[in-house]
Amino acid sequence: MSGQKKPKIKPGVCIPWEQKKKELPRISGDEKLIRKVWEDIDALGYMYIWQCLLSF
Amino acid sequence: MAEDMEKLYAERLKRYVTAMRNEKPDRIPIRPFVAEFTARYAGYTCQEVTHDFEKAFAAARKCAADFDWDAVVANMVYVWTGLTQAIGMKYYAVPGIDVPPNTGFQYLEPPEEKAFMKPDEYDQLIEDPTGYLFNVWLPRVSVDVSQMSEPTSYRNNLSFLKGGMAMLSYFNAFGKQNELLRSESGTVSAISGILKAPFDILADKLRGYIGLTIDLFERPDKVLAACEALMPHLTHVALSGADHDKNVPIGLWMHRGCVPFVSRVHFEKFYWPTLKPIIEEICAHGHQVLFYAEGDWNAHLKSFAELPDQSIVYHVDRGDIFEVHKAIGHKFCISGGIPNFLLAYGTEDEVRDHCKKVIDGVARDGGYIMDASAIIQNDAKVENIKAMTEFTREYGVY
Repeated sequence: MSGQKKPKIKPGVCIPWEQKKKELPRISGDEKLIRKVWEDIDALGYMYIWQCLLSF
Repeated sequence: MAEDMEKLYAERLKRYVTAMRNEKPDRIPIRPFVAEFTARYAGYTCQEVTHDFEKAFAAARKCAADFDWDAVVANMVYVWTGLTQAIGMKYYAVPGIDVPPNTGFQYLEPPEEKAFMKPDEYDQLIEDPTGYLFNVWLPRVSVDVSQMSEPTSYRNNLSFLKGGMAMLSYFNAFGKQNELLRSESGTVSAISGILKAPFDILADKLRGYIGLTIDLFERPDKVLAACEALMPHLTHVALSGADHDKNVPIGLWMHRGCVPFVSRVHFEKFYWPTLKPIIEEICAHGHQVLFYAEGDWNAHLKSFAELPDQSIVYHVDRGDIFEVHKAIGHKFCISGGIPNFLLAYGTEDEVRDHCKKVIDGVARDGGYIMDASAIIQNDAKVENIKAMTEFTREYGVY
């Protein structure tokens, strides 16, 4: 939304990939795959808490 | 048979969407937001439909089929208490446990000194809303989730595991429920996605109504900053659950941000400026929002009129529906306006008379959807819901 302050951690994210990557050894093979799967599952965690707040 | 049902579904979807775009369909769509009423009709207790969502789904489908409605919410019994019990949530009175088995679930707001968010925690919430919810709010609202300073526990771990798996299976089950509504009775699933105003989130689940209204005077800058911090997250969650086909609206449940719960000044400074951009963003993505304006929001119709035409469907509870129509009926579809007390205590003739009055007053040019004023619980008489339905089907033809 224009004019709004950007959040420190963007919506849909609990632990940003950039933070998780620092904890891992050097990634070989398909980093995009690992990132996508991390972010997809992290989004489920995000949705859990926000749905607890909104829907339950 | 399947072909007939698909044809019926298509007719109903067209009727419903046409009305929501504030145009004139073939007849007035009928879209009752039936919750515990479905239990009464289908022969279940409130406990059964609140604690076992499969029974709630079955009851909703039975009502949709027998009453032949155009659209229903797939499950309007808002809370699945089986899930909230697994998580350990404290803020529900559960039918059969905290209230009698045939009484609807209740929200339990804590006293001000036990509010789920303390007045000195605004900065934490503003800095990282998701982190605050996980680390501070959830441990406070759950009997099982450990506080951050405590060691973890078996019950803590189970709360997350069971809660997560149960929530996923529940939301996935809505796919099949929507398909069955379509294939069994040609009924449209009325809404998709959920939204609440940042201000209502603070009042409902964080500071409580009393705590928040005190904060409006003692720390207004923090309240505004907190509302602003919640905005992108609430927008994201709303859009993530929205209808891919952009037919049915996202449901916005509007609670205590209106006069007289707060002053007009507070609505204009806090509630509206942190909700309006969300609605505009959702509209820019091609979705409508159903303003389920619980109570009387007529003091704020001029504000709602600032929104783009057809961006919302405005639901009337206790507000004067004729006043609503005069103020915003040229811009937005209106629904509701049939008082729940009439459906519970009135006669069938009184229900029909009131439906006629509303239809004559606000529906003649289209842009109206028949529904009760508020969510229909188990006090509504079956014969009155029938009367509302059958009268609208006959009288509401264009």
